[in-house]
Amino acid sequence: MKVLESSPHRYDKGIRILTLGKIDEIYDRLVENIDKGDHVLDIGCGTGMLSVRAINKGASVVGIDINPQMLEIASKRAEQLDYQAELELLEMGVAEMDGFEDSSFDKVMSSLCFSELPEYELEYTLIQTRRVLKEEGLFIIGDENKPRTLIKKILNFLIRFPLVLITYILTQTTTSALYNLDLKLQSSGFELISVRNNKLENFIEIIARKSKESLS
Amino acid sequence: MKKTFNWLSYFWINVVETLLRFFPFPAKTGMVKIGSPNRNSPVLLTCNFQLTVRRVKHALKDVDCYLLIANTKGINVWCAATGGHLNNHSVISVIKTSGIEKQVDHKKIVLPQLAAPGVESKVIKKKTSWKVLWGPVDIKDIKEFLDNNFTKSEKMHKVTFPLIERIEMAIMWAFPLSVFLSLIWIPFFIDELLALWVQVWAISLITFLLYPIFEPLLLKEKRQKKHAFFGWSKSLILIFVSSFALLGTVVYTIILNTNMFEPWLFARWCIFSFIVSIILVIDLTGTTPIFKSDTHGDKVFTIKVDSEKCEGTGICLSVCPRNCFEMDEEKSLAIFKREQDCVQCSACIVQCPFDAIQFEDQKGNIFTPETVRKFKLNLSGKRTIRENQS
Ligand SMILES: C[S@@+](CC[C@H](N)C(=O)[O-])C[C@H]1O[C@@H](n2cnc3c(N)ncnc32)[C@H](O)[C@@H]1O
Repeated sequence: MKVLESSPHRYDKGIRILTLGKIDEIYDRLVENIDKGDHVLDIGCGTGMLSVRAINKGASVVGIDINPQMLEIASKRAEQLDYQAELELLEMGVAEMDGFEDSSFDKVMSSLCFSELPEYELEYTLIQTRRVLKEEGLFIIGDENKPRTLIKKILNFLIRFPLVLITYILTQTTTSALYNLDLKLQSSGFELISVRNNKLENFIEIIARKSKESLS
Repeated sequence: MKKTFNWLSYFWINVVETLLRFFPFPAKTGMVKIGSPNRNSPVLLTCNFQLTVRRVKHALKDVDCYLLIANTKGINVWCAATGGHLNNHSVISVIKTSGIEKQVDHKKIVLPQLAAPGVESKVIKKKTSWKVLWGPVDIKDIKEFLDNNFTKSEKMHKVTFPLIERIEMAIMWAFPLSVFLSLIWIPFFIDELLALWVQVWAISLITFLLYPIFEPLLLKEKRQKKHAFFGWSKSLILIFVSSFALLGTVVYTIILNTNMFEPWLFARWCIFSFIVSIILVIDLTGTTPIFKSDTHGDKVFTIKVDSEKCEGTGICLSVCPRNCFEMDEEKSLAIFKREQDCVQCSACIVQCPFDAIQFEDQKGNIFTPETVRKFKLNLSGKRTIRENQS
């Protein structure tokens, strides 16, 4: 979703259009597992659309993002909703997650951010996420996904192609959808609780739990 | 245990990526060992534009060191730094997650000087405790820089636009333009194809070969009037370049084509030649490293040094790629001397530890270092900056 980030003030509208209005449902499903009183980390919180939904459910959220302009919008949003006390925004990347204390969050969530990370950063993020989560804490992810079957790969390519092209022309960057995130989570010490694919398998929603046994 | 340098692949990468220079080619990010480095070997950082990575490795082939390749989305150092893709986060990320901290006993990292508009040495120090040293502008000088114990000579500071780079830029335009035109020409006028390529490449090459003649015009206009998307200087250049194109057109359609004069042939050659000339001239300034692109021309800034705040450390002198500053030794003050040379890259503003340098636009609005650091000037912040200025 790089294309939208180059003009953050249009991000929210843009993402609704691009996902054909589905994004709201997705966000709502993602926060279903957030409970009152939870302390939640939102990785790559962007304009804070997911964060504020978690706060609606009674959580307090720390949102991190590297894009100060996106954060600016998130902070305006928090102000309007009078959520300043519940939403703490930090301009930092996933590489600085080592600054958080061990077991300091009940839940960690992230939408549409992991597909923008290079491989080594994603690995690092999974390790850090496991560390900052409390015992049995939940890890909630919604992101673009690479389908595994060929037919769906092709279909997905055709559908995504115009978007990829526009993104490329405007920002000269591309994102790479996630591949095998479920397996990566398992090998980083998470148990999968639920994995939900859409029909085309190009969007994945995963709920995982920090598993008890320590990693060898 | 030195790996022999692979000349063949170096050659091919250079050819392919010079032709397709317009497009980002992301290289793999992370840590790379060059030669056989030890715990005291220097650590260098570069972008993940494939061509740059290759050239850096080539320049380092007799050096033992570690190279960190930061995620700049496949864009070169200078464009990534001014456009916000090579920033504090990409540097912090590669330092912390690449594993370099386990390899060496020091915490010094050499960044290309042209990264200075995007990366704040102060922030890197604070967040990673690594010290940033600004290396030479041109990677060719890296060996001399390392051999001289990280000191830079005068020439290592300055961005230039030498012949070889000008030819590269000519090719960067000529290749996609001729491919694009071929798509139109192949179905209809396939026998003109070869001549068409010669024409497009000749126009591109002449534009960039003669650039040293055009530069004074562009500079002169810039001094007179600060904002001109297509002013008299470019008009003059366009007249020149398109006359040359017309010459080519005449040679092909009249002199070589001796049968008879075909008006439609002549016309279509005039049209495409003129379009190519316009495209080349419109963003001529943006294609050079010495001018700000006029396509972002809606904001023209000058630099203001606050003499109260300036403490004369001369950091601005060391990061300015155009040598615009001078030091008043007596008063221990930096002076912004050569305004006409400034490319508004903002390196000096971003790096000044005392926040003593600011941008001012033509209406007298001030852009504080805080704003500049946050919003950059080119891509990402362009729209937002307007909304946020007070
Ligand atoms: C497509 S947006 C998604 C924003 C929000 N989560 C949503 O669903 O609307 C992705 C966000 O991830 C952020 N991001 C990219 N790389 C990051 C990194 N290394 N660390 C933290 N955030 C990052 C970007 O700045 C951007 O705001």
